[in-house]
Amino acid sequence: MSDTTAARPLTAVEPLPDDNRSRRRIGRIVIYAILILYSLIIFLPFLWTLSTSFKTLPESLQLTIIPREPTTYGYVKAWTQLLPPLPVMFLNSAIIAAIATLTNVFLGALGGYAFARLRFPGREALFLLVLGTLMIPDQLRLVPVYQILVNLRLIAPGPENYVGISLIFAISATSLFIMRQFFLTLPFDLEESARMDGAGFFTAFWRVLLPLSRPALAVVAIMTFQGTWNGFFWPLVILQAPAHWTLPLGLSQFRFQYSADWPPLMAMDVIATVPIVLLYLFFQRYFVGGLSAGAVKG
Amino acid sequence: MRRWLLVAASLALVVAQACGGSSSSGGNFDPATVSGTVSLSGWQASPEEGAALKTVLDGFKAKYPKITVDYQPVAGDYAAAMVAKFSAHQPPDVFYVNAEVAPDWIKQGVLHSLDDWAGSRSFDTSQFFPGYLNAFKGADGKTYGYPKDGNTLAMAYNPDILSAAGVQPPTTFDEMTSVGAALKAKGITAYSLSSTLDRVLAFIYADGGNLLSADKKSSAIDKPGFKEALNFYLNLFKMGYAKTPSDFGVDWSGKALGEKKAPIIFEGGWLDSYMHGTFPNVNYKWMEMPKGTAGKATLAFTVSYSIGKDSAHMDAAWLLLTYLTGKDGMKIWTQGGVALPSRKDVAAPAGKEVLVSSAAFAHPWSFIPGFSKVLDAFNNAFTGALQGNGNADTIIAKTKQTLDAQLNQP
Amino acid sequence: MLGIRLGRGSLGTERAQEALAGYAFIAIPLALFMIFNIGSLFYSLYISFWRWEILGPTDFLGLRNYQFILRDEIFHTAVKNSVYYTVIVVPIQMALGLTLAVTVNQIWRGRSFFRAAFYFPAIASSAAITVLFIYILAPDGLLNHLLELIGVVPLSFHNRGNWLGHSDTALNSVIGLNAWTTSGTMMLYYLGSLQAIPSEVYEAAKVDGAGGWTTFRRITFPLLAPAHYLVAVVSVIGALQLFDQAYIAGGADGNPNYALMTIVLYLYNATFRQFEFGYAAAVGIVLFIIIFTATLIQRRFFGSSDWASSR
Repeated sequence: MSDTTAARPLTAVEPLPDDNRSRRRIGRIVIYAILILYSLIIFLPFLWTLSTSFKTLPESLQLTIIPREPTTYGYVKAWTQLLPPLPVMFLNSAIIAAIATLTNVFLGALGGYAFARLRFPGREALFLLVLGTLMIPDQLRLVPVYQILVNLRLIAPGPENYVGISLIFAISATSLFIMRQFFLTLPFDLEESARMDGAGFFTAFWRVLLPLSRPALAVVAIMTFQGTWNGFFWPLVILQAPAHWTLPLGLSQFRFQYSADWPPLMAMDVIATVPIVLLYLFFQRYFVGGLSAGAVKG
Repeated sequence: MRRWLLVAASLALVVAQACGGSSSSGGNFDPATVSGTVSLSGWQASPEEGAALKTVLDGFKAKYPKITVDYQPVAGDYAAAMVAKFSAHQPPDVFYVNAEVAPDWIKQGVLHSLDDWAGSRSFDTSQFFPGYLNAFKGADGKTYGYPKDGNTLAMAYNPDILSAAGVQPPTTFDEMTSVGAALKAKGITAYSLSSTLDRVLAFIYADGGNLLSADKKSSAIDKPGFKEALNFYLNLFKMGYAKTPSDFGVDWSGKALGEKKAPIIFEGGWLDSYMHGTFPNVNYKWMEMPKGTAGKATLAFTVSYSIGKDSAHMDAAWLLLTYLTGKDGMKIWTQGGVALPSRKDVAAPAGKEVLVSSAAFAHPWSFIPGFSKVLDAFNNAFTGALQGNGNADTIIAKTKQTLDAQLNQP
Repeated sequence: MLGIRLGRGSLGTERAQEALAGYAFIAIPLALFMIFNIGSLFYSLYISFWRWEILGPTDFLGLRNYQFILRDEIFHTAVKNSVYYTVIVVPIQMALGLTLAVTVNQIWRGRSFFRAAFYFPAIASSAAITVLFIYILAPDGLLNHLLELIGVVPLSFHNRGNWLGHSDTALNSVIGLNAWTTSGTMMLYYLGSLQAIPSEVYEAAKVDGAGGWTTFRRITFPLLAPAHYLVAVVSVIGALQLFDQAYIAGGADGNPNYALMTIVLYLYNATFRQFEFGYAAAVGIVLFIIIFTATLIQRRFFGSSDWASSR
């Protein structure tokens, strides 16, 4: 997909008198300078994380950017001293996050479509109910949810534990909300043509609307993946066997009551951030272009 | 009629079995016949602890090869994970209980009482330091856990900085003031002092103050000693002899000592592994807490191993518990220096003499159910006073209010 | 419904089929929500009338839990802090997110790079960010060094340069931290909707002679109404439930001097440090009422732009 559709900066296209053009160029340089500065500030935490992951413990408390005695002590320790080993944790995180992302994208899109474009009695009230689920803090939900999962026998050291945690992460009101709002911005006659040809509601959704909603789907995917990948609270209370633990639970193994073993902690941070960055870069392409004008023709 | 009697009798038998649990109270208990899995839970405060525990569990396996220990540590918020399990009636069999929350957990009935078994199965509890053991006795006088180790507060100081400034480490409250003044004259802030009750209380005890009466039924916070000690402590800040770790830009006093921001701090045995790992080149020494007007006093922190009320493997749990808190298990656990023994018959590891001897005049950090509210009230009021919103009187008033409210709870 | 051809039936059957499709599509999410969320709410409502401990109920208290909450000074402080935080942080988050999204949408070179960069605070480990922020805001930290460079003396401030540790500035410091870290997320929400605005709209505006700012004000901003609603509602709901940073920066007791005590922290304490589930449930119900009211107010305010209601 090219960069040439949707939001073109108007200023670049208008023909302008000469003095305005130079003023605009200075303006643009200033803007770029600010943006680059802002980006540098943003990368600072990550730079510190990266550099600390290669330091020794005593040096890790200082804020030097380049380690004085670089060492792989942190990575070795993270690789060997975790319970369970790092690759297992990585896999657990990946499985749980992947399942959650898939369910959220699918159920969110389907539900969002229904709330935005289908008429059924009680729709607005039900949507308020959906929003209501965001208003219940996890700390409050813990005891009843835990008891339900225990009764369903999903709190156990076996693979059924994954079912338990997947149920919790399966669908979030935010995903529904994002998709609903997005579908509201699309013209209402979009799926009429498909339905006029005799397609059912699901087919209209699947064939016409879903392909157009890639930007919003990308947002849902990124948010969900990142939320479950970094989630700490539910994995802490639901996952019983250390063999099931996810990366955040491993991260906390290097944090102690009064101190932290920074090099392996930061090494794990670096390793844990890589998939999210990759995922984000992968989904970036869907933020470009968006609606192609052709869809609205006719 | 006879059939009815038979049914009633067997019902009574079943009920009796159920009440007695999976253990036979009194009678023949043969450890060699116990087998199965028992789950153990707790937290890990340092990697050395993980290694030490593993060694202990190996020793247990050697002694009771038929029992398998399923170690399920909690990787984060211990209370959150435990509370969920308790309420679902699925606790681990043996687990840590911090003395600070012990009164709450005992009162709410999630722990199993241990006295009957100690008697019928001959477990000697006389060797536990009373200060540690009493933290796990309920209001009914029964014991609900055995302390697995203990730690006390003492004074850690940097001898190099002090001798360079020409001062000796203080041994009394008055000396603390004069040392503070001497160091301030040289541009050094002498003390990194916590603004929390779990450090301030040691000084209060040393001046004869108390939070509670001896029977723990009423507050004693307005009796002599409390206010004097509080004012002394606050004064150290006012005169510029002390700062909170936060004002030093660190998250606890240990870091202030390590970064040489303050030469004198008051912490416990956990300081050693921290300094060893993070600040291996900083020299420091231990000394007993300075004496107040009422003599020597310090605080004792301890954690117990306890058995869950709903535990399904009581016998195996009992064996594990008594091994871990018995002479052999505790010796293995403490010999590397991760913690101090809570039993008199286990020798203190080298270098910890001050901390262990301090146990003789240590008060346990364990009070009444609902204590966390009192703690929060004090901590917030204290910080408020430090930052210009209040003084010793307001601190005492707010703490007393919360304390009285908690004491009057049914 | 799936693939069934629309019959040439009356309008009534069509609407019925549409309704059925609607219910079917939301069935699974709704079921999950009822069991794991709304169910918890009703459970909490029930136990809030009891003295409910770890192992179950002990006494029936009626409304006593609620009375206690409404009288508790600490709860008042928690509400005050949470509301103040929300009122300040949400507009900042929205403005920042929108600015970033529009910027990223407009600039030409390096667009992908900046888009990734701006989202980074949301991705990067919160452990690293929090530690860094604590360092920056420390008395001997970066912020104070910068202030000294421009001639200001932080040590003379009332908070002695301890931004996070002093009751006067702690909450505002957390606001700064969170506004910055969530800006990337808000940017994403806006980006999704920005992409949906077809280029014809901008072309038409250009033809009419509209400049950059006018276009934004008159066309882009109003067209983003569904996104505004989304961002505003989600932000407010999240902000009223502030917990993580307050806990990390202040500890469970809300120190310094309750400056960082929030409603959810209060709830956390009731559950996991005081072990009073019934009381905690009552707090949860009160919180729910507060958030729900705020959402209803927003709905009325943004309601006209919520297009679904017009269909």
